[in-house]
Amino acid sequence: MALFSDRLKFNFFNYLPVFLLFFISLNGKSTVEFKFLSLNIHYILVYFWVLRQPQRLGYGFIFLSGIISDVIFGLPLGISALSLLVIAAVAAYVRVVTVRITLINDWISFIPALLLANFIYFLSLYFSGLSVDYLYLFKNSVFTFIFYPILWVIFSLTLNIMRS
Amino acid sequence: MDTSRDDVGIAFRSALLSKSSKQRFSLFGLVILSILFIFAESLELKAFNYLRSFIKDTIYRGSIIVSAPSKTFSSITKTTAEHINLYGDYTKLKLENDKLKDNSSKLKFLELENTQLKNLIDEQVATTENFVSARVMIDKQSPYLNSFIINIGSNKNIKNGMAVLDGSNFIGRIVDVNFFSSRVLLVSDLNSRIPVIIEPSANHAILNGHGESEATLEYLPEVHKLQNGDKVFTSGKEGIFNVGIPIGEVKIDKNAIKVLLFSDLSQISFVNINVNKMDDK
Repeated sequence: MALFSDRLKFNFFNYLPVFLLFFISLNGKSTVEFKFLSLNIHYILVYFWVLRQPQRLGYGFIFLSGIISDVIFGLPLGISALSLLVIAAVAAYVRVVTVRITLINDWISFIPALLLANFIYFLSLYFSGLSVDYLYLFKNSVFTFIFYPILWVIFSLTLNIMRS
Repeated sequence: MDTSRDDVGIAFRSALLSKSSKQRFSLFGLVILSILFIFAESLELKAFNYLRSFIKDTIYRGSIIVSAPSKTFSSITKTTAEHINLYGDYTKLKLENDKLKDNSSKLKFLELENTQLKNLIDEQVATTENFVSARVMIDKQSPYLNSFIINIGSNKNIKNGMAVLDGSNFIGRIVDVNFFSSRVLLVSDLNSRIPVIIEPSANHAILNGHGESEATLEYLPEVHKLQNGDKVFTSGKEGIFNVGIPIGEVKIDKNAIKVLLFSDLSQISFVNINVNKMDDK
């Protein structure tokens, strides 16, 4: 019984990032809006897990989750997928070139990831003929960056539970 | 210098090209696939449209199932809040009801007068019988598209461009049709441009959506006599929507002429789709 419970717990935590990724996409909650505050938890989730535990969050899942987000939000297929993969690419690169991972390192390296992903997002929307709210995009990037440490702590705690 | 460039190259290859860390797909391959998807969106091939419709219908159904718990939770919260505010709402509604009763008698008189005048000038009254009703299936507000999904599509002869009404008020148009679902682009969206006429001045304008803030009137004649409370209707100039569908009323602000919509776009559960004009075509 204890073995079964341990296995269940292990599987739950093992698939938690994938579960969260699809839950966010299918629920249309990739951006959290609260009054003037707006942050993209999709980006933070992908960046953190690709950087820390890439084996738990496959690139295929990230791509699929981006496609789902596009369908839910009515964007041309591939736009969110591309920006999420860009985030994953920067995270993968940072993982390869960094020896010691700390919150500050993660946080600073998140800036180019965010800038690049939003630039790709903006370009794709622009060439798809959709109007872009520049102020919203800027506001979203700033708050996503500011709130990164909070989610970092939450995900790190989850990771510690997984390891234990 | 060469060594550091080599290092960057190796790191880049290792991060993007190789299928490391138990990954089944290469990141670079998926990036290329995403770009192909974006380009495929602009292709209007029948096979692609079928595939897109199938993918979208499947994801919409999945989304309904996954968002059911959060929907139930928010409905419980809403019901609780409504119960808490019951007394306040009752007092407010009582006052409103008294006011409406007063207005009702005036309205009946105006309606009668209007019908008599219409008969007098032999004006053709537009028929409103060709409506198809639909339920709002998914309402996820995107930062770029203020839209929602309804539960009918090409199975009920829905076509792109059809007018969507909340009761008798115009709220948007169909922009994407699948087999069993369609997307409605709301008038408040950044990409929405609707030709309108403002009464009683009879000025033509374009109603321009702005996302979160109110829609504004653009391309008005330089000299116009708009006032707060003037009514905004569809002008039917583009030849798709019927003429005279009510949209909202004018609110003159410092820098812009805004339109307060008759319908609350966040509270829509059922809509009517006007299939009149498209059928004629």
